[in-house]
Amino acid sequence: MTSIPLTSPQGAPSDTSSAADGRIGENALRPDGTLKVTGEFAYASDLWMDEMVWGTTVRSPHPHARIVSIDIGPALATPGVYAVLTAEDVPGANAVGLEHEDQPVLAETVVRYKGEPVAIVAADHPEIARQAAKKVVVEYDVLEAVTDARAALDPASVQLRPSGNVVRHLKVRKGEELPTAAVVVSLDFEVGMQDQAFLGPESGLAVPAEDGGVDLYVATQWLHVDQRQVCSALGLPPEKVRLSLSGVGGAFGGREDLSMHVHACLLAMHTNKPVKMVYNREESFYGHVHRHPATMSYEFGAEPDGMLVYGRAEILFDGGAYASSTGAVVGNGGTLGLGPYRFPNVHIDCYGVYTNNPPCGAMRGFGCVQAAFAHEALMDALAERVGVSPAAIRKLNGVREGDVNITGQVIDSAAPCEELVQILLDMPLPAERSGADLLSLPGGVANSTHGEGVVRGVGYALTYKNVGFSEGFDDYSTARVRLQVIGGEAVASVHTAAAEVGQGLITVEQQICRTELGVGRVVVHPKNTQVGSGGSTSASRQTYVTGGAVKAACEAVRARVLAAAAQVCGHTADDLALDGGKVVARSGEVVLDLAELLGDAELFADEGVEETVEWRHRPTEAVDPETGQGNAHVQYAFSAHRAVVDVDVDLGLVKVVALDTAQDVGKAINPDAVLGQIQGGSTQGMGLALMEEIVVKDGHIMNPSFTDYLIPTILDTPPMLIKILEYADPHAPYGVRGVGEPPTISSGPAVAAAIRQATGKALRRVPIRPEHITGT
Amino acid sequence: MKAFSYSRPDSVRDAVAGVAADREAKFLAGGTNLVDLMRLGVERPDALIDVRHLLGHDIEPTADGGLLVGSGVANSDLAVDPRVRQAYPVLSQALLSGASGQLRNAATVGGNLLQRTRCVYFQDVTKPCNKRQPGSGCPAREGSHRDLGILGTSEACIATHPSDMAVALAAVDATVHLTGPGGERTVRLEQLYRLPGDDPSRDTTLEHAELITAVQLPPPSALYRSSRYRKVRDRASFAFAVGSIAAAMVIDDGLVREVRIAFGAVAPRPWRAHTAEDALRGQPADAADFAAAIAAELELAEPLRDNAFKVDLTRRMGAAVLTELAEAQQQGSGR
Ligand SMILES: Cc1cc2nc3c(=O)[nH]c(=O)nc-3n(C[C@H](O)[C@H](O)[C@H](O)COP(=O)(O)OP(=O)(O)OC[C@H]3O[C@@H](n4cnc5c(N)ncnc54)[C@H](O)[C@@H]3O)c2cc1C
Repeated sequence: MTSIPLTSPQGAPSDTSSAADGRIGENALRPDGTLKVTGEFAYASDLWMDEMVWGTTVRSPHPHARIVSIDIGPALATPGVYAVLTAEDVPGANAVGLEHEDQPVLAETVVRYKGEPVAIVAADHPEIARQAAKKVVVEYDVLEAVTDARAALDPASVQLRPSGNVVRHLKVRKGEELPTAAVVVSLDFEVGMQDQAFLGPESGLAVPAEDGGVDLYVATQWLHVDQRQVCSALGLPPEKVRLSLSGVGGAFGGREDLSMHVHACLLAMHTNKPVKMVYNREESFYGHVHRHPATMSYEFGAEPDGMLVYGRAEILFDGGAYASSTGAVVGNGGTLGLGPYRFPNVHIDCYGVYTNNPPCGAMRGFGCVQAAFAHEALMDALAERVGVSPAAIRKLNGVREGDVNITGQVIDSAAPCEELVQILLDMPLPAERSGADLLSLPGGVANSTHGEGVVRGVGYALTYKNVGFSEGFDDYSTARVRLQVIGGEAVASVHTAAAEVGQGLITVEQQICRTELGVGRVVVHPKNTQVGSGGSTSASRQTYVTGGAVKAACEAVRARVLAAAAQVCGHTADDLALDGGKVVARSGEVVLDLAELLGDAELFADEGVEETVEWRHRPTEAVDPETGQGNAHVQYAFSAHRAVVDVDVDLGLVKVVALDTAQDVGKAINPDAVLGQIQGGSTQGMGLALMEEIVVKDGHIMNPSFTDYLIPTILDTPPMLIKILEYADPHAPYGVRGVGEPPTISSGPAVAAAIRQATGKALRRVPIRPEHITGT
Repeated sequence: MKAFSYSRPDSVRDAVAGVAADREAKFLAGGTNLVDLMRLGVERPDALIDVRHLLGHDIEPTADGGLLVGSGVANSDLAVDPRVRQAYPVLSQALLSGASGQLRNAATVGGNLLQRTRCVYFQDVTKPCNKRQPGSGCPAREGSHRDLGILGTSEACIATHPSDMAVALAAVDATVHLTGPGGERTVRLEQLYRLPGDDPSRDTTLEHAELITAVQLPPPSALYRSSRYRKVRDRASFAFAVGSIAAAMVIDDGLVREVRIAFGAVAPRPWRAHTAEDALRGQPADAADFAAAIAAELELAEPLRDNAFKVDLTRRMGAAVLTELAEAQQQGSGR
């Protein structure tokens, strides 16, 4: 077992190797499960070290202003304060960012959004730090703010960057330029700004090191991309900036960008003390990126029978003040923006723009969520026009394996659109409302309605999503696997830097090691930068990519072990396998005890057999900037939802009665974990359809609290029938297909469709609120 | 948070004297609203006088058969009291529709009445707000006002009072017992609150250092027994009202003998719909008339761009709840 270095703070993730069985395909217990349920699991906000001091952030009150002067004197004079730092104190490049390094660590001359960090303070108590932060005197010269994405697109508006306001404009062109069709439907849509709403706020602890470097313990989604940015800001080489993952309380994309990382390191290096930073909830709303709000105009043309002829779309994402991952979100919105349908002719313009709104970036579903509300409503409108059912129009037009999609890529593994829809049709519908139980009515426990104006509606949605990083990105993961004898037992240990954010990756890593190495106990090494990058825990990619790396490393270890066994026992290595802690022959005969073999000092060193593998999926390629054509994506994941709603049309209340789904996951490595992802993802998508929105007025967030930013409670969450398909993707390890994002994409549009069906209203904006339904 | 002193006096008299001596002092009860607002910098007391242990924690019968509810009674205890559930169901329903189980355990009756508006501008100290900072202006009229008031508002302020409980208390003619530096007095619940006019900084008619000691419920009657609370909100639990109605009605021979209606989340105080009540009293109990009466009350409404939907919402909810009360009585159950 790996011991944690003595210098580690309390609250660093501890040994989570308790469970000893569960191979792939089985419901292995999560090693962190019991700790989380009993409240013993240490999250990043639990990090603690004697002698540590507390950091806090001074933020801009304006969406757009020039900094005239900063006076840190009064703050620095506060008893208990150790340091007050500004942009001047950033030793390296004062520019960080995921895709473009366009965001200062601390604002220098201008602030570009409300909440932008301007200065940081360290003090011996969090409250003293906050008090002192208020004494930092920043004089601003307020500038005109661009808070409307449409206006930002206008070249006549204030240009926020030398390069203009457009972060990316992606064109997708296919087929005829001006196709005509017998049936044409066109609609406009708007999607509000959703928050990841993770429960654990941004937090971490930076510890200055004797070598002049720093150790940062932090809750994040991608240690190495953080490390790259921290190094550049501190002007230090990677070996001096060591990151360790601490307990992550949810992520959903909101931890892909930096938050307090560099700030805590700067303060730690300046004070030579460990510095802890924890955002409060309000600060957290300003301290991470959100899902891009979008406005969209769509038009579909079809034959009289509903067969699609063309799709046109203009999608506009408000990226806010900094680029973050807007470019890639535009990539997804453009390349996937018409949904999983066969379109001979395509014309899409997808834009992401800079404004002075809160920065937007990654969130579960990444560019597909917004577009799905539009393309699914269009499919329903088309079905109605040609007189077929919503299910039929989707079955008719859904892509199939072997099809060429709108960017010219061949879909070279299962694309079971028809089957997913048919499964939903075959699922039983919930019983008619009984009326007796108020909890079963819209409005929940508030006695809002007794069913006077309640109408039922059913809606369908079919969507798809790319898995992994796309458009030519070098997407890989690294795994170090060791097999050794501990206490007389053969034990595997696995070390990756891939972040466990609650989704269950460490369980998957254990399951793969058990399967490939035939052992029970698998120690998961704490996640840190002492091993190569695991890539981001996003894009539904970790089971695929880090899973692939762990599998490959296990195979390399196994090859060495079996080669040695072959020397000892006379079988060829090809005839041998590892199972149940033994070396067994294909015939089933037990040939050797694995622990004994590994203990053989002539064959193996004390530390056993270790292999490190960097693993890549098939490369993707950049798309043509003028046509959007190219093999942009490595894999597509399909899902479909059927929502059943009861709507009180008098009061505008919605009760989702059922939210049923079918999804192809390739291979369910851990079926329970797959169900958990689908239940959670479906609920998050439903939340956007019904209530989740960061309300932004003139660049200010109006509801930065969980009292005012509403997420569904368990009372809002319906029972779900879930059917999992397992059509192996021959190109992916074990045939897996990413699981986490698809349900978030298809659930919301299904809910919106069901409400439209119940009310007959157009409902062109989500979240759909009571006033949209009552129509006043 | 601004630094403050904390004390826990031994008597109501000392507590009142303590707050009276310091304009910046405040009573602390459950703290679920006050402490939140202190963290936001909205409330900036320099002294907190904890009174929770001094306030009545009992619900006692009064000489006339009503109930005297100590102001320290937890919202959850009041909601489940069998006498309350039986005789004033509207009150129990209103309480249970508010906040969450944990909050109701911590929140007191007095604190609930005096919780402050949820207006986002009031809660954000970086924004102007006439209630928080008199004369600074009200951005809500032009800005974010979907959740704000349509009745009793003024140019200076369109905030609403967020309490569910207070709406029910208004409908059952509750009175509030006060102890202040000048002695004791009682006010009708409706009169506890004032409309903003051109001075929205004061929510209530209380003098500084006046302590709510109890809420008195009138003797039980067929009217109060036949009462309901309905609330519309943006999710199924744990959310403030977008609109709500407390109503009580008795019908005799097909005529409305007595009726009480109060609207919630539409005005700076629980809005007793006197116009509607007057229109209904003595008239035939007919669904169309219910809707018309509520509509007559809403004639006074001055909705804005994004909260006009509250007019229809309140009208529909009001008509539905009165119809429900009428039907329950016609079926003779009189629940
Ligand atoms: C997340 C959340 C959701 C909520 N949802 C709802 C909801 O749906 N519906 C609803 O109605 N409420 C809701 N609430 C509000 C909740 O009901 C109030 O916070 C609570 O009732 C306040 O009671 P308290 O005892 O904690 O008051 P405190 O916070 O202690 O005090 C509030 C105010 O009253 C003053 N005060 C307290 N007691 C007295 C007294 N006896 N005499 C004079 N002054 C006094 C204090 O000085 C302070 O100004 C919610 C609150 C939260 C945090």
